[in-house]
Amino acid sequence: MFRLSKALAVSSVGIKKVVTERTILSLNVCLCATVQEVRPLVLVRPTSTSAVQRAEQRDEANFPRPVRPVEPGKVRLGFVPEEWFQFLYPKTGVTGPYVLGLGLTTFLCSKEIYVMEHEYYTGISILLMVVYAVKKFGPVIGQTLDKKIEDIEQSWRDYREGSIIQVKESMEKEKEAQLSAKGQDMLFDAKRENVALQLEAAYRERLARVHSEVKKRLDYQLEVANVKTRLQQKHMVDWIVKNVKGSITPAQEAATLKQCMADLKALAPKA
Amino acid sequence: MMANLFSIFEPSSSIFNFSLNWISTLLGLMFIPYLYWASPSRWSLCWSEIIFTLHKEFKALLTPYSLGSTLFFVGLFSMILYNNFLGLLPYVFTSSSHMAMTLALSLPLWVTLMLSGWINHTQHMFAHLVPQGTPSILMPFMVLIETISNIIRPGTLAVRLAANMIAGHLLLTLLGNTGPSMSSSIILSMLIFSQILLLTLESAVAIIQSYVFAVLSTLYTGEIN
Repeated sequence: MFRLSKALAVSSVGIKKVVTERTILSLNVCLCATVQEVRPLVLVRPTSTSAVQRAEQRDEANFPRPVRPVEPGKVRLGFVPEEWFQFLYPKTGVTGPYVLGLGLTTFLCSKEIYVMEHEYYTGISILLMVVYAVKKFGPVIGQTLDKKIEDIEQSWRDYREGSIIQVKESMEKEKEAQLSAKGQDMLFDAKRENVALQLEAAYRERLARVHSEVKKRLDYQLEVANVKTRLQQKHMVDWIVKNVKGSITPAQEAATLKQCMADLKALAPKA
Repeated sequence: MMANLFSIFEPSSSIFNFSLNWISTLLGLMFIPYLYWASPSRWSLCWSEIIFTLHKEFKALLTPYSLGSTLFFVGLFSMILYNNFLGLLPYVFTSSSHMAMTLALSLPLWVTLMLSGWINHTQHMFAHLVPQGTPSILMPFMVLIETISNIIRPGTLAVRLAANMIAGHLLLTLLGNTGPSMSSSIILSMLIFSQILLLTLESAVAIIQSYVFAVLSTLYTGEIN
């Protein structure tokens, strides 16, 4: 039921809704304050549009908000309010109300205004039963119920604190995400540099290739020229030698040979 | 002063021939906790536990088509419970001991169920007249028997509740009537003791009878689908 009250907290202020199974009776309650036992909670219809304004304009002096009492009212003998005793104290002292009760009952019974017939004996039996039950089972039942109430209120507090913790955690995560986003910047720079390096390397490689290709072509041309020159030279030498050899007559050859022999004979004694 | 033994059940406080005793039917409203604060008080929690347990019980008995009617049966239960229970207290009129009230509860309920069942699910209702697993020879008799049991249902519901309440109250009254003419106090204490026992029984009967009424109504509702 009280998880229900949280379940139906659909207010215009916008508090989160927790859906549970307990929906037999409907209750329009909105949690507008933290749950403490003496703070009042405001009953707000979800259909009203000016709920907050109405709350602000309330005349607190003449119409104070109801405060939830923590303890039940004080009683004597189990059912007589303490206020009655206080009311009679100035006039009749401490024993006044007791004397009043005793006298009144005696009067009613003796004058047979109150007749003690079968209902009276039933009443006595019921009174004895109730007193016994309250004295014997009262504390135990009271403690279990109090524990259940405490569990319900604790679940509200846990929900609130859990939300706070969750929000804080998401704040932390958001900060981390921002940091990592900055890191992304550096990553991009590094990648950009990398790509530039790669481009440079490719460019240089191509440059070198161009150089070597051009050199190859030039070397070829050089070789071709060299070979041509060599062949020309060879051809020229052969042609000259052939022509010279062909132009040597036999008389010239014999005269040269004679001259060489005479030179050698002239040189021989000197050696 | 009692004219006869059953005059305890007569609604005798009247104003201009209008019986005021029947207002005790609404006395239970005083005891249902109002849920102004979000945090429950002990009695609020107690009461909401009780009716939530009942709601779960009835949910198991009803078909998925009629789940919303747990509200009605829980309300019926709580009304009869308060009437029975508060009637045990001295000087409180037990309105559920009168056939006028119990028939007023059970007869409209039964007539509604019958009408809606027979008009909307005629074949289903006819099928219900023969329980599962009946030997073929017995079928005509089963139909008769089931029809009769169907017809007396409002009567049984009403009379069960009224008779239980009357019986309990009668016993208590008889015991209590010997009180004024009691001489020795030992017998008086025996009287009080026996009254206490009887009251314990009567409280239990009050709760059980209201529960039985509500559960049977739930079952009859579940049957027509």
